[in-house]
Order: sequence, then structure tokens, then C-alpha cells
Amino acid sequence: MARMKFICDAERCIECNGCVTACKNEHEVPWGVNRRRLVTVNDGKPGERSISVACMHCNDAPCMAVCPVDCFYKTEEGVVLHDKDLCIGCGYCFYACPFGAPQFPQAGAFGLRGKMDKCTFCAGGPEENSTEAEFKKYGRNRLAEGKLPACAEMCSTKALLAGDGNVIASIYKQRAKTRKKGPEVWGWAMAYKEDANIAAQEVKS
Amino acid sequence: MKKIAGVSLRALLAGAFLCSTLVAAQAPATPPPAAKAAPAATAPAAEAAKPAAPPALPAGSTAAVGWNNPPKWSEVETKPQYASVPGREMNILVEDKGHWWRAVRNGPVTFYGGIALLVVPVLLLLFFAIKGPFKLHDKPTGRLIERFNSVERMAHWTMAISFVVLAVTGIIILFGKYVLLPVLGASVFSWITIVGKNIHNFVGPLFLFSIVVFFFIYVKDNFFNGNDFAWLSKFGGLLSGNHVPSGRFNGGEKLWFWLGVVIFGTIVSVSGLLLLFPNWNTARELMAEANLFHAIGAIAFAAISLGHIYIGTIGTEGAYKGMREGYVDETWAKEHHALWYEEVKSGKSGGKVAGATQPAAGDD
Repeated sequence: MARMKFICDAERCIECNGCVTACKNEHEVPWGVNRRRLVTVNDGKPGERSISVACMHCNDAPCMAVCPVDCFYKTEEGVVLHDKDLCIGCGYCFYACPFGAPQFPQAGAFGLRGKMDKCTFCAGGPEENSTEAEFKKYGRNRLAEGKLPACAEMCSTKALLAGDGNVIASIYKQRAKTRKKGPEVWGWAMAYKEDANIAAQEVKS
Repeated sequence: MKKIAGVSLRALLAGAFLCSTLVAAQAPATPPPAAKAAPAATAPAAEAAKPAAPPALPAGSTAAVGWNNPPKWSEVETKPQYASVPGREMNILVEDKGHWWRAVRNGPVTFYGGIALLVVPVLLLLFFAIKGPFKLHDKPTGRLIERFNSVERMAHWTMAISFVVLAVTGIIILFGKYVLLPVLGASVFSWITIVGKNIHNFVGPLFLFSIVVFFFIYVKDNFFNGNDFAWLSKFGGLLSGNHVPSGRFNGGEKLWFWLGVVIFGTIVSVSGLLLLFPNWNTARELMAEANLFHAIGAIAFAAISLGHIYIGTIGTEGAYKGMREGYVDETWAKEHHALWYEEVKSGKSGGKVAGATQPAAGDD
């Protein structure tokens, strides 16, 4: 079974926000919630790079560990999903997540948090696949339709790669080898630990 | 590449000069490009054969090799950068304090906190089983003294009841996952926790308010004096069985007032307020820290409160009635708070002697 992962190739990302828009459109994400966002480092300076960030579907996911009601679960493909019916809106996953992935729509006065919303790797939720109920809570289940996440599919420069971790890692390695630049995959050390900088190690000459 | 080979030496030098000025202006951490550009341009054919060599620059190029290399992610990812998506900390790629918070909360706080909340009641029940309650030595006189007026009692019970509600709902949030969830199942436990979280959020401010009121009502009788240190040094006569004379409140009660109500009350209130209002846009790190202060402070507060609850109910004959109804028997006052009893009898203290019968309705 494939282990689903994301790679954002910073050498290719042009900060077009196409992935952000694709995600919002695909899942009809509520106002104020962004499952994916772009961060530009060294903005306007030499070495400027952009990274598209969403839930990285960590190996040892901190959100799962701190949830008081255990509403998270992991699919066979390593995708971290959650049950919005169980979520109590405490915000602990938001404190624990290094990537700032969990989002909370405001559900009342004083900024009361509603049900947490985050990237599902386009894999829906615990509801029956591709049902109206699943779409309303979690967005489209593209994986069930045999498609990859909309953000990566939409990426105009193929900077954002989504899919089997081994496949996208080998694509990235090939790119880094060819261009002799940017061998370090962002986020993998934090999210997957044991996979830290595999691409970097193999392309070092 | 052919064009480059045909370029005159003068143009090459000019290109190298431009490169070096660019380097000087931008001061990158890479070696000067002039040295690298020159051999690449003089031997363009060899360049293609040796892929490991640094990339060649076209003559006249103003680029400096390596000046636009990607950053080392670990150096930039935790610092605020630029993000077009609005919102607090959206411009930070990685907030790594969350791992630390998770480790402390799920580790020592849950483990030792759970042990504390299990061991303390067991010890108290053991103590009760061995020693039994503190009983009065003399017979009750039947004459009652007012110990707490209605305002004092209301302040106490508002604080006490809200404290218990907060403790129970808080314990569900921290420990329910390990204790209740396997028994009740995900749906029922989630429903209980959602209700509990909302009760916790609304009772919290009431508790905070009651602490402030309680402080101002009770502080006048809670300043430490010499008697209290004598009381504390002898552990209140707990081991010897002889009461140490004390004023209206003994050393233990005063310690509970300052340590519990004032110090722990402040810790849980301030950290609780930070957690209660996500619309203050508090940074994640501060919220995680507030959560730890809240959890550790509340567990310590709850563990000590069990001792107070024990002494105030089954542990001491007549103590609960004093706070429930406001009146204590003269014998109780003489034995537990001798100095206060004398003050009341001599008319120096505010407490009044109620007479030989139960107080009439509305008397307080």
C-alpha cells in the first residue's frame, strides 16, 4: 500500500497560489479557513523561495496524540483524517501541529472554535465514500475516485507533488540531480522523521 | 556555447568585473564568482563533459554563482516570513514548540497528575480508616456561635461548587480519553466532552469572579501571625492530638487561602483566560504554555482541595455544618479555634453568640 506524502519543490514553486485556490474550490472550504497556504521565505531578497504548506500527514502525528476525544485516525495510505462529529473544538491539535494545519471556523462569540478543518489529502472522512454528507464536512474524496489531491494536480509548474512517498521522492531526487540545486526537501524531517533528507543524501556528489 | 567561445577577452574581463561588483554589493556567503566564471568560459567544451563542475555563466552575465541558492530550511522555517493568506502565524512554516508541549502534556502532566489525583484520595481514606474523624472532646453545649454570615457562605459555596464542576470537566478533558472513552465509546464520550467543555468555558469566569469576591471578604482574617507558625510547626496537633490554639482561621486554613485561592487561583484564572479567548489571536506557543500552567496548576489545586474537602466534611465533626448553616457549637469553637472563641465571647470579634437554640429562619 502506498504511503501518501506531499513534496513542495521550492525550486519550482512560483507562489501563484493555484494550489490554495484549487483546494478551496474543490472542497468548498468555508470562509476564513485555508487548508493550504503559501509561505515565501526571504521575500524580495536573494534566495527567495516559496513553500506550499498543508497538513503533511505525519508519521507520528502530534494532533492525533493530543486530541482529548481521539477523533483522528490514519488510513492505510498514511493519510491523517478526523471525525468532525467527535471533534469538540478545543484547539489542542492546533497547538501541537508544527505546520499550522488545523483550522477552526469561528462558531460563536469570543472566537469560539467550531469543528476543526484541515487538509484531508483529498481523502474525505469517516462517512461513506463520495456521499453528500462526506462532501459537506470534509470535501471531495478524490482518492476514492482514483485521483490525486487537487492542489498537486492543479500545480502549473509541478512544484507540488502528492502521492506515494517513494514515487514522489524519486521524482524529486531526479530533479535535484539534474539541476544540482535544492536537494533538501522541505518539511520531511519534521513530518516523517526517518525519511529526513533522503533526497539530499543521495544527490550529494 | 559557440558564441561564448568567440567572445573577446575584454568582454570576459568586463563580465567578471561586473560579477565581482555584484558580489560586493550583495555579499553572499559563496566564493567569488569571477574565479569560477573564467575557466568555464575558456574551456566550454570540457564543461559539458564534466557535469560535476560548477555551472557555467554566459560571459557578460551579472549573476553570481550561488547567490540565489535555496535557504537552509531549518534556519528559516521557524521565523516569520511572508504569507498572502491572512491570519496569525500563517507566515510561519514550522512552529516546533508544539512537539515540546505535546511531550510534556501527554507525558509527565498526564502521568504524575493522574497519580496525584488517585493517590491523594486513597491516602485520605486510609487516614480516615485508621484515625477516624476529629471528634469533640467535650459535650456540645447547645449554644451556637455564628461563624460564617450569609455573604461569606455564598462566596464560599459559589467558589466551591464552580471549582468542583471545573475540576470534573477538566479531568474529563485530560484523562477521559484513557478512562471513559474505552468504556463509553467514541460518540457518547465525545458528546459528554463537548457539553463538559462548554460548561467549563462558562463556569470558568464565574469561578474567577468568585475568587476575587472571596479574597476581599476573607482576607482580613487570613494574615499570618505568630500563632499560625506555632500551629503549622506542630502540624495543627494532628499527630499529638492536642489542638494548638488559633484565631478565626488556623495556620492550615490560612495556608490554603494563600496557596490555594490566591496563588493557584491566579494561575488557573490567568492561563484559563488566555485559553478561553481564541479571538485574542494569542500565539500558539503562548497558548500551549498557558495550557501547561492551567493543567499543572489545576491538578495541584484539585489535589490539595481534596485535603480541604476531607477536613471540612467527614474529617472533622461539626466543620461542614459550620459552613453549611453558618453556626458552630461553643464547644467546637473552644476546641478548634480557642482564640477566636475568646474574642467572640469578649465581644471583640464580629461573630455573634446566637443563644441556646437553633437560629430562627432569616436570623442570619
